[in-house]
Amino acid sequence: MIWHIAKRELYDNLSSLRFALATVLLLGLMLTNAVVHLREHPERVQRYRDRVSQYQNHIASHAANSLYDLAQEGPGNLHKKPSDLRFCAEGGEAFMSDRAWAGHHRWSTDTLKSFWILTYPSATPNRDNVRPDVTKVDWGFVIGYVLSLIALLFTFDSISGEREHGTLRLTLANSIPRHTVLIGKFLGALISVNIPFILAVLVNLLVISTSSDVHLGAEAWGRLGIIFLIAVLYTCLFLALGLLVSARVQRSAVSLVILLLVWVVFVVFMPSTLVSIAGKSTPSGPTFDFSERSWKIHGELRDEYSPRRHKEAEGSIKRIQIDGAYVTKDAEQQERLHEERLNQRIAEVHQARTITRISPVTIVQNLIESFAGTGFERHLQFLENVRAYVREFRTFIVDTDSADPESLHIFGVRTGMSQEPVNREAIPKFEDTLNLSKDFNTATMELLLLMLFVLVLLSGAYLAFVRVEV
Amino acid sequence: MLTTLIRRELLDNLMTFRFAAAVLIMLLLVVANTVVLIKDYENRLADYNTALKTHQQQLQEKLTYSAGKLEVDRPPNPLSIFNVGFDKRLGNEVEVSHRYVPTLWDAGSHGSTNSFMGMFASMDVVFIFEAILSLLALIFAYDALAGEYERGTLRLVLTHSVRRGYILLAKYISAMLCLLVPLLMSLLLAVILLTTSTSISLNTDDFLRIGGIILTSVVYLSVFYLIGILISVATRRTSTALMLSMFAWGFLVLVYPNMILAAIPRPEAPKARVASAYSQIEQTWEEFDRERKQFLINDAFPGEKTTFEMMASGWYNEYSYGSSSSLWYVYHSALHMKELVKDAESRVPHAQNYYGFLGPRVTDTAEKTWLIRMPALEEILVQPTNMERVWLKLSPAGLYDAATQAWAGTDLNGIRDFFEAAREYRQQVVNHYHNEKVFASRQWFAGDKDTPDWDSLPRFFFQRVDVDTNAKRALPYVSILFMINAVLFIVIFLIFVKSEV
Repeated sequence: MIWHIAKRELYDNLSSLRFALATVLLLGLMLTNAVVHLREHPERVQRYRDRVSQYQNHIASHAANSLYDLAQEGPGNLHKKPSDLRFCAEGGEAFMSDRAWAGHHRWSTDTLKSFWILTYPSATPNRDNVRPDVTKVDWGFVIGYVLSLIALLFTFDSISGEREHGTLRLTLANSIPRHTVLIGKFLGALISVNIPFILAVLVNLLVISTSSDVHLGAEAWGRLGIIFLIAVLYTCLFLALGLLVSARVQRSAVSLVILLLVWVVFVVFMPSTLVSIAGKSTPSGPTFDFSERSWKIHGELRDEYSPRRHKEAEGSIKRIQIDGAYVTKDAEQQERLHEERLNQRIAEVHQARTITRISPVTIVQNLIESFAGTGFERHLQFLENVRAYVREFRTFIVDTDSADPESLHIFGVRTGMSQEPVNREAIPKFEDTLNLSKDFNTATMELLLLMLFVLVLLSGAYLAFVRVEV
Repeated sequence: MLTTLIRRELLDNLMTFRFAAAVLIMLLLVVANTVVLIKDYENRLADYNTALKTHQQQLQEKLTYSAGKLEVDRPPNPLSIFNVGFDKRLGNEVEVSHRYVPTLWDAGSHGSTNSFMGMFASMDVVFIFEAILSLLALIFAYDALAGEYERGTLRLVLTHSVRRGYILLAKYISAMLCLLVPLLMSLLLAVILLTTSTSISLNTDDFLRIGGIILTSVVYLSVFYLIGILISVATRRTSTALMLSMFAWGFLVLVYPNMILAAIPRPEAPKARVASAYSQIEQTWEEFDRERKQFLINDAFPGEKTTFEMMASGWYNEYSYGSSSSLWYVYHSALHMKELVKDAESRVPHAQNYYGFLGPRVTDTAEKTWLIRMPALEEILVQPTNMERVWLKLSPAGLYDAATQAWAGTDLNGIRDFFEAAREYRQQVVNHYHNEKVFASRQWFAGDKDTPDWDSLPRFFFQRVDVDTNAKRALPYVSILFMINAVLFIVIFLIFVKSEV
């Protein structure tokens, strides 16, 4: 019986104007998305490859000099691997730097050079960009905004419309339980919304996968599958909302007005307004504060070590030890400072993201981002990778140095460390990786939240429909 | 007759659920957002004041003219609450020095610097109107004529000797009056909130600008109402009209502005043009450098040290640096000598002579390269984006956005006014240096005897352009919106007159 009602609903929808319009709109958007991706992605990948080879040359040239040189200069720029599924979610990638810089060089005196530290450059694409401000058309946009609107347009009259026409009474006069009618309508709407969406997705993927420049592996297809399921779940949410309002309200026109206003508030306004509220509670200091602080701390350390250094004779073991302690301590302090600033910024973003989770569109965009391997969580993963690599690199330096019998094993000074060139093959290489299981951990909570929304709205629609008078 | 019709329509509209919902939702969103936006503005104002103070302090600490870094800051625009435009985005502090002519692309930014926060979209009052008012206008319009066709009331009305134009006009006027209620109420509340905030002081010009924004909003609203009526009269069925209206709204407001810039290929900066302009600039500076070195060789003091071996304590910086992406090139030479070595006195006149020669040459070269740089920047960075702006304006939402930005002064022109003022200020400072013979003074490089009198420098003062200029900038977009209105009205009238009831 459910299937019968769903089929009737489906046939009704297939021949309707809204179905045709939805198909055209979704196809147009998805086609644009594919074309833009094909235009931009090969460039992005090429840029990444060039930079990785630059990084390897950088390491090799210093390794050929001496271990000290390598230890002082550091591994250089570490680059974030661009995701193949960038077309699914742009994820504000423009505002996250695509590199971490493990080679920040700050000062040198006649005998000493500061050691490298790990810093996190920030990306400010907007500061001198006079282009108009626009959102990227990615799957996240299509699903989050357009598909949800279409879902509402498909359901706003599904019950109130039948009541107005009197067909609802007719249907219920038969011995059909009300929940069967509701589920049938729900399924019918779900299928009819998904037909244009699937069509658009298929066209999108067809265009992308036929190009020889872009390769999607088996894992990427798996991720795309998950993203599609998320989209379906998200559509369910809005279908349930549409049914709920449609069941409660007597007239379709009123139902549509309510639904549109709810949509506008939750989808369009909530995300940005909530961020503005949340973003203000923890201001991160101005830039000049930071560099001033950094120099002040460095100055204090210099004043502390400088008299002690000059007491010892140039070239004595004692002097080398003090110099080494000075340089390493300076690097540690500065790196901690950068780390602190980064953590402060991340905390600010986390806070903003937590609050915006009230809006379903943010949830679904976060989810798509994490499965597409873009966005903020991915950036955190990249930073995690960078830190792990940096630890590995430092251990490597220590181990290589201790293997050299001629070295004094005092870090930070040229004369205290191994002068032998390093075999470039032995140096650990940084490779940025994407980890699906990790993604899933961060996404589970949001997925559950989305399901909760769907369940609450569905049961709300059920209750409303059961109690409604026809 | 017309008044009777209008009264009937007005009553019909006012008693509906959609009217109540429109008023409620507009008030809620505008008030909530204005509060947030005012807070944001106050934060930015505080950042601006801090930056002002810090820059002043940093300047006072400098013992020599050449080391002094004169920075000017752009105050936040209070009308950015209505349309934020470029106000928050583009650089808001720039160094004014004789070494180069400052532009938008040389600016930095003060204020909170968490670049991650850029990934969250920000919103302003105009965006609420752009998205919601247009939606409300369509909701008011979709059944205006189609509903009367369906119910047959139109036939009834037309049996009287009422002219069809009157019916159309009555519907239009009454619906617009109804839609003005939420618009004006929410705007008035926003203005009240603005005036109660102590940190925001609005002058007469600002109120005129807000008036311009209101006018533009009304015209924009009318465009969408007429689009709705057009759909309504063309389809004659409410359900079809509703669906078409909703998709038209989704396309014009949601999809088109976001899609169009991605769909058209982004214009590449012409590489050859960049390279040729940059090499020209580099050559000019190289020529300057040759002259400079020649001077050092020819002068009485042997050697090419620009410190003239006078410095006992302090620091100095000398470098040439350029970046081809923004065609920026600078020869930087700053000396900050706290104490001079014992026998330096004999070399001081040499140094004064050298820097007296160097300063005006640097200034001239900077101005010479500016003549190359200005048109090149315009061509490489601004013109391609102008093309994109034209594409955006194909949607009424884009026109509305552009017009309100122009009124508020947060459009690109408004931001460039600031840099124009910074350039004028640079000229004043350079003139001051010339008149006071600062370049050839001892304080240019050494702060051991006298320190610069920073307070005697001309003050930087930036005033937003007057409301006439704002109006002139907004006028093209507003008049296009008016034209769209007129065309839509004529088309609707023709269809309605020709249609059979």
